[in-house]
Amino acid sequence: MKSLRKFIQTHRSIRQHATIFSLVVVVTLFGLFLEAYMHDFNLVYITLFFVFSFAFSAGPMGVLNLGNLHVSFAKQRRFFANEKSNIVLNVNNPTDTTLWDIKLCKDKNIYAHIPYIKAKSKQNITLPFTPSKRGFFTYEGCYTESKYPLSTARLTKELDENLKGIAYPEPKGIALESLLQTQETNIGEEKEFDGLNAYDGSQKISHIHWASVAKGEVLVKHFSKETDIKDLNFIFNNIRGDTEFRLSQLCLWVLTCEKQRVSFSITLPNKIINSHKKSIDDILKILAKY
Amino acid sequence: MTFLRYLQNTKLSELALLDLAYIVVLLPLIIMIKIPMLLFVLTVFVILIFKKSPANKSMLFYVFILGVVSLYFSLYGAFSFAGLSRLRLFLELLIYLLIIVVAMQRLKRVINFYLLVSSFLFLALSLFFYHSLLMLVYVIFEVFVLLWMILSHRMQGDIVEGFKGSMIMFMYSLPWVVVLFIFFPRISFEHADYGFKGELTKRMGHDGTMYLDGNALLVPSKRIVMEVGFDGKVPPSSQLYFRGSILYVDKRDHWEPIGKSIKRENKIHYLTNRKPISYKVTLYPTQKKWLYLLDIPSQKVEKSNLDGDLISTVEKDIDEPIHYKAQSYLDSNYSDTLDETTYRASTTYDATQNPKSYAVAKSIMSKYNSSSKRAKAVVDFFKKSSLTYTLKPDALDINHTTDSFLFDKKRGYCVHFASSFASMARMVGIPSRVVTGYKSDRDDTLGNYLAVRERDAHAWVELYISKRWIRYETTNTASKIDTSGYGDLNFIQKISKQNKFLKKLNLYLMYGKYQMETWILYYSHTKQLILFEYAKKNPQIILAFILSLMALIFLSFSVVSYLRRINYNSEALTAIQPLLKSLKKQGYERQNSESMHQFFLRYAEEQTNHNAIKAIKEIDVCYEKISYGKNYSKRDLKTLKTFVKKTLKRL
Repeated sequence: MKSLRKFIQTHRSIRQHATIFSLVVVVTLFGLFLEAYMHDFNLVYITLFFVFSFAFSAGPMGVLNLGNLHVSFAKQRRFFANEKSNIVLNVNNPTDTTLWDIKLCKDKNIYAHIPYIKAKSKQNITLPFTPSKRGFFTYEGCYTESKYPLSTARLTKELDENLKGIAYPEPKGIALESLLQTQETNIGEEKEFDGLNAYDGSQKISHIHWASVAKGEVLVKHFSKETDIKDLNFIFNNIRGDTEFRLSQLCLWVLTCEKQRVSFSITLPNKIINSHKKSIDDILKILAKY
Repeated sequence: MTFLRYLQNTKLSELALLDLAYIVVLLPLIIMIKIPMLLFVLTVFVILIFKKSPANKSMLFYVFILGVVSLYFSLYGAFSFAGLSRLRLFLELLIYLLIIVVAMQRLKRVINFYLLVSSFLFLALSLFFYHSLLMLVYVIFEVFVLLWMILSHRMQGDIVEGFKGSMIMFMYSLPWVVVLFIFFPRISFEHADYGFKGELTKRMGHDGTMYLDGNALLVPSKRIVMEVGFDGKVPPSSQLYFRGSILYVDKRDHWEPIGKSIKRENKIHYLTNRKPISYKVTLYPTQKKWLYLLDIPSQKVEKSNLDGDLISTVEKDIDEPIHYKAQSYLDSNYSDTLDETTYRASTTYDATQNPKSYAVAKSIMSKYNSSSKRAKAVVDFFKKSSLTYTLKPDALDINHTTDSFLFDKKRGYCVHFASSFASMARMVGIPSRVVTGYKSDRDDTLGNYLAVRERDAHAWVELYISKRWIRYETTNTASKIDTSGYGDLNFIQKISKQNKFLKKLNLYLMYGKYQMETWILYYSHTKQLILFEYAKKNPQIILAFILSLMALIFLSFSVVSYLRRINYNSEALTAIQPLLKSLKKQGYERQNSESMHQFFLRYAEEQTNHNAIKAIKEIDVCYEKISYGKNYSKRDLKTLKTFVKKTLKRL
């Protein structure tokens, strides 16, 4: 009874659609029916009943095949407006049997075909995705599809939940390095070696000159562009362009600062955001929601 | 095993799967298609083997022309429709056209929708031409193979997984097919008269003429001539006489019936208060017109003639198995009023031809006045004549057959006994005639089923006494039986125990075949009604049916469970599965991140039963050794299995 209840539950979550082969089955059944009835041929009757039974039993088999598959959204990476990225789906077969002919589709387009997924195994599937604008988005219309076993029906199952995510502004504009160069301010690109200094405990461990340590003296490497950088402050209103451009510009600088591990603050018309107080993702989220 | 492993690793391409499906569906059609078309199919087959690239337009054109030419020659002469039903011609034409189209599509080496669907069309068309038990088995095989190929295609050409999948679907479908077959409403149209090429071998034994010389039709074969299913019990052996033909005219070396051109007016008056018995007959091709009915038939069989001598015939020679229902009285005599022609034919004899017999007959005539006493005297004379029943008689003097048999050779079989008896009966003034047909035996029965074989062909005599025709089993007058001939005939059966077993086994097989033909191939609206009526009267049959269906469902699910079982790659893992199942029932399940050793340790830590802990540790050590040890033997595996068994008892 438990299995039956589970099957009914699974069956309800699956939709069945006719295919060209559904029509073939109907025509075959009708043709065989005429042949059998006209001549009272029991061989034809038997063939007719087999075809009917196969078509009939294909339904539950297909339902079990697709219904037992668990597809969920995996932890996603950052999405940026107008930037190509991927949605990662976690495909899991918790059953003891292999599941066959699974397709991952969205909006009637097939994005991935999994010929089979073995018993008790998982796979990650990526679907291409490009957010059209910044802000919250819902990734919907994603479903799994299978024609197993006989192609007489196309079974579809929508994913249990839609992906709700946020797309950050498209990072574009003047690169931070170019901006700082024009303002004669360099941020720490360790490009030109400028000699050795004594180590006083405040320098980075990666700057220690290990060759001198071996000789008994602790020295650190000094680079010409390693000048102390003041905290950067990006002022929204000072950026030329419309709101979207400003946000894109800020997004680009935020990402650069994250990469260069440089602290910064952003002055928005009604808010000041400091990278010491908020995480990069939170800052990007504020920009996305602006 | 190597082959199975090879199969497991074999992935067939879509085209290979399609080819396999086509080979299976075309096989029954190959037998019936004409030689030119067969040559065309072979040519295409050869091209497919040797030319691996897709055919170009010019090749397709040549193949098309070749196909059309083959089609023309295949149907050449049939355009007049002579000897062919129009539907059959149409179907043949359809098959040929389909073969040409499929061949052209296949040569392109691209699978398309039409190529996929055509295989089903071939299957449907082949059903028009065959209707036999063999075809029934083949059709089920065909349907299964098609399903197998579809599933293998769906499973990336994996034929082993495809087989498992198709078997599961087949087993799921089986109960449905059974239920639908029994209850699906039928109509009582007759089967089409074309097709059915399964049984064309001519059955022998009985002929319209009875020869006494070397032309005698003696067929000691066990081949089945007809199968009879009685509605009730099978009558005793002494009443299993199946009437074939009636012979009146003694032509010295043979007996024959009264000529067809001679008009006879016989009226039959049955004198019996008994109820007739009903039975169904499956008669295999005899290439003769006779329908064999049990003595004495009470009514004529549908679409046949029953003449004054109670001989049943059909218009055309029987060249395919036919089925008929009949009713007969189990009497060995019946009343009849002889017309002049019949009387003359049944009393004619030539005294000069057999003077010795005539002398004996005269003495009988002078001694007894009544016909019955004279008949008894003739029987007594035969019995006293020390006649020997043998299948290897010495050649008789054809000009004096009765004398030669009764006074000189004294050796013969049924025809010699019947011929001499009929002649002598006429000499003593009793109208007589020879009846040929089949005399069966209850040894060939199983339940209400009776198999009549070629070797059961027999001849006996009917005497007209007191306005009644009375049957005389003349072979019974033999004093001795010579078993040096064909020792397996009814009258000379001395069968060893082993032969008896084989005979019984053969009978069971024949019975099974007969029942399958009756209840599957020839299941009809009438049979459906009979079955439902029977179920109404015997409600226990409904219970039996439900139980049988449940047994079938149980069988189906057992097979499905077996096929869906998990196949573990490791023998050790397979060996400990019963233990893991038992532990799961106790609430211990191995986690995905857990090794088997860790799992066993976890279990052992939570246990207080020292025996169980010890047993689990033993299994753990053994399992680890087999799984990770470089050299493990079959013995280790056996030890592991033994440990598991012991542990299961302890848990």
